[in-house]
Amino acid sequence: MASKHQENRFAAYSTPIILAAILLALVLLVVAFGDKALARTAAETLIRVTLVVGLWIFVGNSGVISFGHAGYMAVGAYCSAWFTLRPQMKSLFLPDLPGWLLEAQWPVLPAAIAAGLLAAAVALLSGAAILRLSGIAASIATFAFLAIINTVYSNWEGVTGATSSVVGLPRYVDHWVALAWAVTAILAANIYANSASGLALRATREDEVAARASGINMYRHRLLSLVISGFFTGVSGALLGHSIGVLNPDSFYLGITFISLAMLVVGGIGSLSGAVIGVIVLSTVIELLVRAEQGFAIGSAEFALPSGSQEILIGLIMVLVLILRPSGLSAGREFKLRLKLPHKTLANEQIPSNRGEIK
Amino acid sequence: MSKLGIFDLSVRYGKVPAINDLSLQVEEGERVFISGPNGAGKSSLLNAISGAVPTSHGRIELDGDMLTGRAPEAIARLGLSMVPEGREIFGSLTVEENLRVGTGLRRDAEAVDSDMEDVFEAFPILRERRSAAAGALSGGQQQMLAIGRALMTNPKLMMVDEPSLGLAPKIVDQVYETLCQLQEERSLTLIIVEQSSLRAARVGGRMILMRGGSVVGEGNAADMVDRDALAQAYFGNPKCKEVNS
Amino acid sequence: MTNFAQLFFDAASLGGLYAMAALGIALIFGVMNLVNFAHGEYIAFCVFALIVPSTDAVAVMFLGRAPAVLLVPLILVIGGMIAVASEYAVFRHLRNADPVAMMISSFALGFVIRNVLLATYGGRPKAISLWPELNTPVQIAGASVPLLQVIVILTTLLVVAALAFLLKKTRLGLEMRAAAENFTMARLLGVRANVVITGAFALSGALAAAVALIMATQTGVADVRMGGQIMLVAFIATVIGGLGSLPGAVAAGFLIGGVSVLLQAFLPLEARPFRDAFLYTLVIACLLLRPQGLFVPASAKPRV
Repeated sequence: MASKHQENRFAAYSTPIILAAILLALVLLVVAFGDKALARTAAETLIRVTLVVGLWIFVGNSGVISFGHAGYMAVGAYCSAWFTLRPQMKSLFLPDLPGWLLEAQWPVLPAAIAAGLLAAAVALLSGAAILRLSGIAASIATFAFLAIINTVYSNWEGVTGATSSVVGLPRYVDHWVALAWAVTAILAANIYANSASGLALRATREDEVAARASGINMYRHRLLSLVISGFFTGVSGALLGHSIGVLNPDSFYLGITFISLAMLVVGGIGSLSGAVIGVIVLSTVIELLVRAEQGFAIGSAEFALPSGSQEILIGLIMVLVLILRPSGLSAGREFKLRLKLPHKTLANEQIPSNRGEIK
Repeated sequence: MSKLGIFDLSVRYGKVPAINDLSLQVEEGERVFISGPNGAGKSSLLNAISGAVPTSHGRIELDGDMLTGRAPEAIARLGLSMVPEGREIFGSLTVEENLRVGTGLRRDAEAVDSDMEDVFEAFPILRERRSAAAGALSGGQQQMLAIGRALMTNPKLMMVDEPSLGLAPKIVDQVYETLCQLQEERSLTLIIVEQSSLRAARVGGRMILMRGGSVVGEGNAADMVDRDALAQAYFGNPKCKEVNS
Repeated sequence: MTNFAQLFFDAASLGGLYAMAALGIALIFGVMNLVNFAHGEYIAFCVFALIVPSTDAVAVMFLGRAPAVLLVPLILVIGGMIAVASEYAVFRHLRNADPVAMMISSFALGFVIRNVLLATYGGRPKAISLWPELNTPVQIAGASVPLLQVIVILTTLLVVAALAFLLKKTRLGLEMRAAAENFTMARLLGVRANVVITGAFALSGALAAAVALIMATQTGVADVRMGGQIMLVAFIATVIGGLGSLPGAVAAGFLIGGVSVLLQAFLPLEARPFRDAFLYTLVIACLLLRPQGLFVPASAKPRV
């Protein structure tokens, strides 16, 4: 029995290893091609992995849809900008920042972590209010939260630059940095999902009443998952800012909310692997559509999809997946390595089969 | 031809079977009680007949018309009406509105008013409270309303799920008395889920015993009580008359 | 008391607009438990139906040129049609799905409609002039009020009264109320699901169209984004009003309109741009105090 248990534990913890390996393989592939545009796409995709995995930590475990995560992204992105922009720039464009922050010029990594922590703190505050509501009402409240953040950041002239963009962020995020954060997010998501809190929370997703009856404090677990989720979402916002170098409140509004939810739904809300697959699949589709919008040649004829067809097609794909395959491409399953343990004494000598299979 | 014919019916909730290869015939004007322990599949059977849950195998016919695969509203239009477990009255609608919901399918508009009169005749309390919100009625009154509401669709076959649930014995007597009276007046076919075999025996009719999603015995309700068949249905090893399939 | 009268008319007309939008959402939620995120895009769609499809900066009136007697019913029908079409194309296939899946799919559908509009009409807001004479002020109770505000208030009352009549006195209304409370039971009594749902979507779409006409006249702008903001307010109104409760949605719509106008009038000048943030924060606070909604009638809860 003990060996059976060990097998299961190994299988559960093998998921992030497989996912990390897939992402690493993607990056290596891109590096091997040496194509600059492709490297940018890879970095963008990996930032989205951090975002969607961050989103999954809350949505996937609690079953509550959040429309507010772009808000945590904005919080993180601006926070990192405050810490990393050159002081002269800040006193010019963001004069209302407190003095110590105006002076500050941190290295990028502590700034990213600070971004995540601030987003997590905002998640704690907003979640403490929103998560007292039941499922659907909570979802609508997250939408209101997003609108609050957007209104504040679009109007707080001296601190966020309002609707004029903040420019000059150090663009340090390449595919390697993005990969490191994506893998960190995946690890954290996996550890949380297999923790006591994650398991309890998923039990509430299956049956709220029964979970409550067995003494699970749903509110506390939801809040904890939202805080962790807020951290990585905030980091992903910082990464996005430092990848394109420009911040605007509207880049953290409905568009990104839609894309991140689409990726989660297409991949399958039920599993971490689904979240990652969703990002990879939809990012590929987006990249192809973007190229198609720029025009492509078949024979001697030039074709170009009208602009906007990217969003329209992604929306249609999302609706079709919801209708035809409601649990997404992954159908709630995880990539797992299966470790066969004939005797438990052999546990340490066994080499896992290197075949990742969907179980 | 039977009024209601059920052939090899199976119902599953996901992978959990609720009804296994059940066959049953109900004749015109008959009164049939369905009894059995909790989880025997009684309510599932009624829900499958009325179209509220999909069947996974087999067929159901009403007067030779296939019911399987039809939407619940289409089945109601063929003359089948149901008083579900827990009554499911529309709490925010008035008593009279509750009674009128099911009259949309009728083409004999002029008969609706006289049927309403019949229902009020049978359950005078409903007339008294016709403009009150149905949610404010007592449990017994809600049961009467649920029966009245089912009658207003002018059904040929009416199914009642546990009419005695949660009601005082005196009220149950009254409900059954009215049900039987209405059955006679309107030449209804009645299928009633009733846990209490004594009650069924007193009212009279055919009794079907279910267990584990199958019919495990049947006979005249009065005879069934005398035998220990019922106990067998609950505790296993049925010795009662096997159903010829 | 000029100031007071002015505030009253502002609040009542804004509240009326919110109430109509909220009714459209509450109707659908009541009948099929769908939180319809596409509702705002129905509004935008109806606004854009007024002008000729083109990405040019200058808007050329298209349907908007028709006389009001024709235009109003025409736009109402268009609104009804897009709502019914979206039910037919998307939501019908999700009837047995859980509410969360339906909600996300409506979000996706809204995004699709929005981007179709963007692709056809371009992203920049366009000036349109629909019935500009309605913005001329009239004197009422010592306040100078645009005629349109009076019309909006009257229209809202008319719409609410008509809807109440429809729900209380007609066969379809009875079936819709029954279906809203217990859909399966209504079907067991022969209520046709498709008729009720199509009816609810048609009404909801027509309400969106009414909102569109008012907004187009009031703002004089056609903007793809205009649906989003009012939809969010409408959602909040339906939640505050108690999800699915129609009288609750109307009352909450007026309440939010009133609070919004008061905030605009009495917030310090430098805080005014943040008005919506204050509004939504109030809303979340209000939900915390009464998560089931402010206006849930006691009779809606059946006795156990």
